Amino acid sequence: MLDRDLVLEVLRAARARGGDFAELFVEERSSVQIRLDDGKIEELTSGLDRGAGVRVARGPSFGYAFSNRLERTALLEAAAAAAASVDGVGPGAIVDLRTAEPPVVHRAESPAGALPATEKVRWLREVDDAARSFSPHVRQVVASYGDSVQRVLIATSDGRLVEEERPRVRLFVTVVAARDGVIQTGVHGPAGLAGAEFFDRHPPARTAEIAARRAVTMLDAVPAPAGETAVVLAPGMGGVLFHEACGHPLEADLVDREASVYRGRVGERVASALVNGVDDATVPNAWGSFSFDDEGTPAGRTVMLEEGILRGWLSDRIRAAKLGEPSSGNGRRQSYAHPPIPRMTNTYILNGTSSAEEVLASTERGVYVTALAGGQTNPASGDFVFGVSEGFLIEHGRVTAPVRGANLIGRAIEVMSAVDAVADDFDTWEGVCGKDGQGVPVGSGSPTLRIARITVGGTGA
Amino acid sequence: MRELCAAAVEAASGDEAIEAYAEESRRTEVTALRGEVEGLTFAESRGVGVRVMVGGRLGYAYVADPDLDEVRDAVAHARENATLATPDEHNVLPEASSAEPIAALFRDRQASMGADRKIALALELERAATGTDPRVRKVEQARYGDAVSRVAIASTTGIAAEYERTDCWCAVVALAERGDETQTGFSFRVGREIDELDWAGVASEAVDRGVRLLGATKPPSARIPVVLDPFAGSSFLSVLAGALSAEAVQKGRSPFANLVGERVGSDAFTLVDDGRLLAGPAAAPFDDEGVPTERTELISAGTLRGFLHNSYTAHRGGTRSTGNAHRAGYRSVPGVGASNFFVPAGTPSVHELLVRAEGGVLIQDVSGVHSGANPISGEFSVGATGLRISGGALAEPLREMTIASTLPEMLKAVEAVGSDLRFFTSVGVPTILVGEMTVAGR
Repeated sequence: MLDRDLVLEVLRAARARGGDFAELFVEERSSVQIRLDDGKIEELTSGLDRGAGVRVARGPSFGYAFSNRLERTALLEAAAAAAASVDGVGPGAIVDLRTAEPPVVHRAESPAGALPATEKVRWLREVDDAARSFSPHVRQVVASYGDSVQRVLIATSDGRLVEEERPRVRLFVTVVAARDGVIQTGVHGPAGLAGAEFFDRHPPARTAEIAARRAVTMLDAVPAPAGETAVVLAPGMGGVLFHEACGHPLEADLVDREASVYRGRVGERVASALVNGVDDATVPNAWGSFSFDDEGTPAGRTVMLEEGILRGWLSDRIRAAKLGEPSSGNGRRQSYAHPPIPRMTNTYILNGTSSAEEVLASTERGVYVTALAGGQTNPASGDFVFGVSEGFLIEHGRVTAPVRGANLIGRAIEVMSAVDAVADDFDTWEGVCGKDGQGVPVGSGSPTLRIARITVGGTGA
Repeated sequence: MRELCAAAVEAASGDEAIEAYAEESRRTEVTALRGEVEGLTFAESRGVGVRVMVGGRLGYAYVADPDLDEVRDAVAHARENATLATPDEHNVLPEASSAEPIAALFRDRQASMGADRKIALALELERAATGTDPRVRKVEQARYGDAVSRVAIASTTGIAAEYERTDCWCAVVALAERGDETQTGFSFRVGREIDELDWAGVASEAVDRGVRLLGATKPPSARIPVVLDPFAGSSFLSVLAGALSAEAVQKGRSPFANLVGERVGSDAFTLVDDGRLLAGPAAAPFDDEGVPTERTELISAGTLRGFLHNSYTAHRGGTRSTGNAHRAGYRSVPGVGASNFFVPAGTPSVHELLVRAEGGVLIQDVSGVHSGANPISGEFSVGATGLRISGGALAEPLREMTIASTLPEMLKAVEAVGSDLRFFTSVGVPTILVGEMTVAGR
């Protein structure tokens, strides 16, 4: 993307005043977004983004400057601005750049960018038809299709040179159902680090049906019971909980700021012995995967919880150095416009040995959660909350009436310690995680699991 | 930027309508940690987004920092995209009309300020937050940021408008600790220039909000009076802004559809959107498609008056735009969005509100609003922290509770609005006394 000599020149300018390391991140991203709403193809957008960010790190501090011009003068200006934040003594060395081999490559077999837009419009039409024919109660269908290719070049003063192409596709469907004045919505949005072949495994019509089923099911929902109860999470949903309750507090910037409920607890039991949790950027073609993180560290797999014992953090270079460890390869950024920070990739709770049927059948009373609307955690106190977008009552081991307006609230360690059953039917859930104003694609995953006691917020008795 | 916009508009052929939106910004952000600069970020960016409409079909394309040829390429892409879109007679560009400039949006002194002063502020902010109370020795975050930005819009309908602005903000998340327990306290302020930020007030408020939660317990579930402090209230207002956009209404996604002229809130509840209110952070002379901003009363003493409109929804609804076209930047087509969206201040003091809510709870923060509130049905259930109200004062802290209701029910239950109106990014709200709500805990 950039001439090697220019890369070296920028790195030299960035190290003019020393510091621990300098880094150049160059990005070009082309994207297509198509939106169907109210039966109409409302919006087709094509975009071209590009820019470069230069970072200079010294101890716990860094300077970052970026520009969306890629010519020499703009890059050197950014390098000088980043360098100026370091009160170092003199120029630092640049180790000769060596191209790094990726530990895993996520290829698009059928690059989405090469397909005509008419094909993508056809998928959206299929979504609209499938959702509307699912039930007469379906009132509105909104479907967003997006594909993008992000090309990055990352070079560091300690000799890393990485180039990667990240193809992404996503179809996100929202269905609104209404009956007798009751309005409910259902969503589904599978996504991958892949090409158009992704839609062979996730046919648009099926995505539409899942969203429609959720909306229509919830029309019959009764108010959720408020108070403490057992909760069974359907496959994938436990991963969302794990992401919020454990993943965020295990990001090393929060650990370093002593703003994590898990600080100083490596080696301790912080969850039920049934819980094995990992963050894995190497899962082939998964939404949160990559070959290298946004600092050029090869993708890796980090064990976070092993049989409930806390094993490790998710770190970027600066935080890893402060904690005296190698980076776990979790330095990510939304784009060139953002400095990297520790982020999750694909965060999974691994399969246990129970069957989902056993888990449900052995639950006398509780709530069965089949879709979560996302959540929020306070990593320092460990308090978290999730909205339940599709849930049911469990009565005498059987799944009965759907419930609405429910959310789950609790504290990370207590709730993860209350997991008393983990099944063997692992599945994933894709989302975009926001932190410090940066959104990055993340995957979550888990089998069916049960939390013996958790607070459910709702309006029912 | 004018040249770039003009190049796009000149590329129009036949009966095409074309609009170009260009945006340029320079940002600085400083974070402080343990007495040192943790991060210092300088950013410069520029981009152009082009709308092409032909025969009611809309196509869009954007490009970062383009030259004139790349702008023309973007026009060609947008034109190509338009061919696949469904024709919609309401795809129209607004006619040119002159927007009164708001001179005080741009402050020379702020635009030309060096980094040293900004770094000093971030360091001061952290020092003030960690040096006043023995229970707060560290922050999760102490941050100063600012932006100098310029927007230009030109169109084949004769719009050629431009304005510039300065914005700055500071934020603190204080960590209050006692034994094994940690609570966080958040505060922030926005302004046009650094002297307006009252950083010392931000630091002490963050400390206070963290410390007062120490020892918090989970309350028993009950229906009790609820007081929303402005931080908590602002989260609900953001959801309300979405539900009161004509876009949501026209697409059948608002609980307020078909209710204009009807009572949707109590007498105590009024809601205004005012893009020209200088005290509001979102003030601008014109909206994101060049229509002059104005003051719109959406709810007057409980009665729904209307919705927020851009040119598309206005045309479709047979009305005029309220100057509420909103984009997330040059990368996006204008939708409908609030400007300064606020509940005007009432007369009671916060103390008077607390007296009236005896035995209830002051909600200090809500979480999970975006996942827990459904703007379509208006139902919500969110996590909350707060304090018990006893004897007209704040008593023991509470955590791990949830509050649940529907937006329409909550608006009708509003009993009084305090005098302490405060703006957060673009929503502004005073302390609000809501009647009884379900507060779920143990």
